[in-house]
Amino acid sequence: MRRFACLLLSFGCCLTARADDFFESKIRPLLAANCYACHTQSRMGGLRLDSGEAVLKGGKSGPAVMPGKPDESLLIQAVRRTHSRLKMPPTAPLKAEEVALLEAWVKAGAKWPETKAAVTAPGMKITAAQRAFWSFQPLRNPAPPAVKNEAWVRTPVDRFLLARLDEKGITPNRRAPKTTLLRRVTLDLTGLPPSPGEVDAFLADQSPQAFARVVDRLLASPAYGERWARHWLDLARYSDGLLAAGFDTPLPNAYRYRDWVVDAFNHDLPYDQFVRAQIAADQLPEKDRAALLPGLGFQAIAAGANDQVDVTTKAFLGLTVGCAQCHDHKYDPIPTRDYYSLLSIFKSSKVHESPLVPEARVKAYKDQKKKVDAARELIDEYIQTQQKMLVDVLARHTAAYMVAAWKLDRGEEPDRAGLDEETLQRWVRYLKTPKEHPYLNDWFALMAKNPTEAQVRKAAGDYQRFVLNLLDEAKEIDDKNYVAFGGKKGMKDERTRQYTNIVSLSTLKFYQWRELASGPYRVDGYSAPPGVYYYDPQCIRRFLTGVWGEHLDTLRAEYEALERDLPPIYPFLHTIEDGPKPADGKVAIRGDEHNEGEVAPRQFLTVLCKGEPEHYTRGSGRLELANAIASHPLTARVIVNRIWQHHFGHGIVRSASNFGQMGDRPTHPDLLEYLASRLVESGYSLKAIHREILLSNAYALSTEPNHEALEADPDNKLLWRANLRPRLDMESLRDSVLAVSGTLDRAVGGPSSPLENLNHRRSLYLTVSRTRLDPTMSLFDFPDPNGTIEERPVTIGPLQGLFFLNSEFIVGQSKALAAELARSCKDDRERVTRAYKLLYGREPDADELRLGLEYVSSGGNSWREYLQVLLGSGEFTGMP
Amino acid sequence: MNRRRMLETLGGGFGMAALRGVLQGSAADPLAPRAPHFPAKAKHVIFLFLNGGMSQVDTFDPKPALIKYDGTPMPGPKIKTDRASGSLMRSPWEFRPQGKSGIEVTEIFPEVGKRIDDFCVIRSMYTDIGNHGPSLQIMNCGHQLPGRPSMGAWVTYGLGTENRNLPGFIVLCPGFPVLGSSLWSAGYMPSIYQGVHILNEAVEPEKLIQHLRNAECAPEEQKRQLALLEKLNHKYMARAGADVQLESAVRSMESAFRLQSEAMDVFDIRKEPEKIRARYDISDFGRGCLLARRLVERGVRMVQIFYGNFQPWDNHDDIRVHAKLAAKTDGPIAALIDDLKQRGLFEETLVIIGSEFGRTPMIQNSGLEKLGRGRDHNVPGFTVLMAGGGVKGGCTYGATDDFGFKAVDKPVHVHDLHATALHLLGFDHTRLTYRHAGRDFRLTDVHGNVVRDILA
Repeated sequence: MRRFACLLLSFGCCLTARADDFFESKIRPLLAANCYACHTQSRMGGLRLDSGEAVLKGGKSGPAVMPGKPDESLLIQAVRRTHSRLKMPPTAPLKAEEVALLEAWVKAGAKWPETKAAVTAPGMKITAAQRAFWSFQPLRNPAPPAVKNEAWVRTPVDRFLLARLDEKGITPNRRAPKTTLLRRVTLDLTGLPPSPGEVDAFLADQSPQAFARVVDRLLASPAYGERWARHWLDLARYSDGLLAAGFDTPLPNAYRYRDWVVDAFNHDLPYDQFVRAQIAADQLPEKDRAALLPGLGFQAIAAGANDQVDVTTKAFLGLTVGCAQCHDHKYDPIPTRDYYSLLSIFKSSKVHESPLVPEARVKAYKDQKKKVDAARELIDEYIQTQQKMLVDVLARHTAAYMVAAWKLDRGEEPDRAGLDEETLQRWVRYLKTPKEHPYLNDWFALMAKNPTEAQVRKAAGDYQRFVLNLLDEAKEIDDKNYVAFGGKKGMKDERTRQYTNIVSLSTLKFYQWRELASGPYRVDGYSAPPGVYYYDPQCIRRFLTGVWGEHLDTLRAEYEALERDLPPIYPFLHTIEDGPKPADGKVAIRGDEHNEGEVAPRQFLTVLCKGEPEHYTRGSGRLELANAIASHPLTARVIVNRIWQHHFGHGIVRSASNFGQMGDRPTHPDLLEYLASRLVESGYSLKAIHREILLSNAYALSTEPNHEALEADPDNKLLWRANLRPRLDMESLRDSVLAVSGTLDRAVGGPSSPLENLNHRRSLYLTVSRTRLDPTMSLFDFPDPNGTIEERPVTIGPLQGLFFLNSEFIVGQSKALAAELARSCKDDRERVTRAYKLLYGREPDADELRLGLEYVSSGGNSWREYLQVLLGSGEFTGMP
Repeated sequence: MNRRRMLETLGGGFGMAALRGVLQGSAADPLAPRAPHFPAKAKHVIFLFLNGGMSQVDTFDPKPALIKYDGTPMPGPKIKTDRASGSLMRSPWEFRPQGKSGIEVTEIFPEVGKRIDDFCVIRSMYTDIGNHGPSLQIMNCGHQLPGRPSMGAWVTYGLGTENRNLPGFIVLCPGFPVLGSSLWSAGYMPSIYQGVHILNEAVEPEKLIQHLRNAECAPEEQKRQLALLEKLNHKYMARAGADVQLESAVRSMESAFRLQSEAMDVFDIRKEPEKIRARYDISDFGRGCLLARRLVERGVRMVQIFYGNFQPWDNHDDIRVHAKLAAKTDGPIAALIDDLKQRGLFEETLVIIGSEFGRTPMIQNSGLEKLGRGRDHNVPGFTVLMAGGGVKGGCTYGATDDFGFKAVDKPVHVHDLHATALHLLGFDHTRLTYRHAGRDFRLTDVHGNVVRDILA
């Protein structure tokens, strides 16, 4: 069609046709290939490059092109990379001949063929090169390489590492002392320091299997799951509530998901099942379902389907699919349609409560709850009616109250007949404060003039008439609004109320009415007291006598009886299930839901499929998705890398949740392949991978610096030494303090509880809030649970120092430890030694022993202060 | 002993090359003061956040047409607001020209009015989403979804901080605004950039800062503790290997020791002369302003004050409540400006006053309200004030339509505001990036234009 248009035009003007030809054959393809990813609908920098008009209009920095003047054109400056800021394309410079083409085009007047509408970027085509990207490939199972120093090798992992070190001529460090190694592996696997008994046993065990036995013991301890679940929960952005305006919307059973993750690690649930459970446990075979269902908490704690796509792809696949929500992924072969294909799957599902009790118990609870709510409503309505009537009744004595208040103020005894004492006292107070409305102006003016009783009575009478009219007016308004809402039903419906315009008293009359008849008015930052005739539900009873009062008592008794019989809410799991009508959604163009594009069929990411993706048809398609993810080699690579990351401080791929183009490349590609293959061969056993890694010689190296190695590899990418951990994570730190002080509560699982001094449970069980992140937890880098976090940054600051110097927690734990040492050891020398064993897993040297004995010799609180120093030392708060 | 010498000693005679390796191999000090991209006047930020949404047409954006059309529907096609909205409603307050510039200011901000020549009034602000949550996220973190670093985190990340004995970014609020801690989050950045939230209802420093004092340990005893700690840590580092982060971890105790006395001093507003204190001590917000000034004086990079718990300025049912809030806000802002000037800090401190959005010129009389005399959320147009650090004073920028509903002349998006604030601090907002998940992120995402006309 385009060619045809050109031909027609060529009858008109040959020159134009030639320019058009040049444009169509050279310029447009060049722009399309290099610029359209960002400069069509995306309008990066405000610039579009898909129409002549747009090019002349330019972007934020001005017109892109000055026809005839290449040197002055921003486009040319940008592609020449001579502009101070704009250097385009950002990925790699154009070839010289391409720049020359653009220069020629601009010089010739930057002619843009007039006839055609803007052509948008073609749909993303995944190229063969993109498909060949390393992380998408089938697993290789490379043979561990030969090395020069065979004696150094303990496991295949060592071969991969040593081979690289050999290439660079770097000699790895010696092994760390046994005490260091035990502290390292125990903290690594359990988040707790080794006990003195464990230290002694390890030191005494001289067999070659000593360390392997330690690893087995630790992997079998419940503390292992508690530790490694937390790594996963960082990715799963675990929280005990959903983000909401004021406080989190509680997820009272979220902890069941957390406990399931702990259990999954402890029982070495095959990783592929672990993945499937968190995407589609509800659709797995009946026999596994009950055990795996809590895993769906991963999805249920999400902030909607977009969040589910983002976290599912990042956590399991290490891909930033979320980037493709508004446009084709800028770097990875993920078209925006793929994003919406996944979204279609999650949008076909909905949040669900899966009860853990029989249906009958659920029903019993719900039925009873309904009755309780109905009884409550009955009371509220009755009280409201009585409150309104009481206002009417009291208002008819307004003049009498005012005159009596006036007399009291003058020190005279008023006539109290027919007046309620409390209401009278309220009137005395009410008449003493200035008003924002004018309706008592006459009264106040009269008061200033030392009036006669007759004048006061008249003014009070006038005011009473005004008040009665005001109450009538207010009632009329209520009636009108009642109709506008469509009666009682509409009044109760928040949405109806929200979208119904109502009438109201004028502002000043409203203030006056509020001061007489309304309950207290409270908004954030401002409040007005209740009206003089308003009695709250607690106080109104004394006005209700006879059957009226008895009726309220009966209602209240009925309510209380019903509430007593309401059982505690049944336990349930936060899960998801397929919605009633699973369906393919549509692409939201530019992420705008109101701008629908092509259909996005429920299917897997195109680039991760062998051929064309298969269209999912079983319900939402979650099970098919779960199987596709669980069996993809990328998934295996990502998880073994995460395990490596937590043992060595960094992953083999450092960007642990980005295995795409912009992520890091593996420092040891073959090692990663080897480990991923081992995972699959072992039946997806994570514990097998831990053993592969931990039993290596490399894991056991010291952290010492080494001159030559530092020169060659300052970042320790090749792992010639162990990485020093400058500070333990928040959980390990707090748990270690509790453990060495002998105060750690080792109870496993159950509901979360907030961080406070008397809470001695492991930190895994602390309440995690999305709006009230605990300041002490975040002080030590506990991550914001609103996003998925693959690696916690470690920060160091003086407020952390304050915590160790002054917090009640540290002072209290130091005391507990001092008391324990006083009890269990016979003298100071033994106590210092014991403290070193407990805290650092080693004995003090002579110097340290001397320093300790010197410090505590001053008596008083010196033991507590000394232990506080040991708890705050780098050796305790960090990990060698 | 300085750090370099200490490392040399610990390293047991490494050559300088190896030492460089040590320093590069570990993360550099994340709070060290850093130069921005280009020289700039503003070195600190004080962000006064009137959470809930300050009405523009009752404060700094006068609309005579509202008087004329009071009680009638807004002319033109029916527009969409968050909830049912009624007719146009005039402001209950008068506007008068103020200062040499003659900018019209409402009578409920008389003291700010007298100083209006110090302010640039941006009348053409707009944002994207009409609900508090997303709008708060955009205004504070540049994105409507939670999980991104806040502006304070970006500023501290970009500039470091000048006083290592105090946090770089401090948030004051007598309670929590809507969405709480996610508004001063460090997002994916190290949490050292996160705002330290201080509940500032209290006056005593030890109630403001956690763990500021140890009741059971006198400073002399703490000094003895620190002396021992230093010896033990040196031995440890000699064994485990020198590391910059490890070093700063063990140093954090010494900084904490100094922080104790510094914070007892800086957070104690009772140390101010009575005359000065009286100007601020009329509200939590006012005391916050005084603290902000004291903190900025000591080199804290950014202080953000949220007016109050939840969202006080969200006056859906009675706009007149604005007067009561303004009465607690106006004087302290004036005092803050005067004090900053008197101390020569005004020019190097960027003061921003604003909300997550504005309020409709129409009355909101939907059935949720007790009194139908309020205004709903307004996203297409609202007002933000800027002053100090490189801002042109005594000017207005942009305009809303005749009724104050929509920004029509030179609209300024929140991203533009952020770009401008970063520019005033010396940053090209497109180059202040943080690498996360394989991508360079910015406060302004892929948006933002510097509003050059308001630069001094």
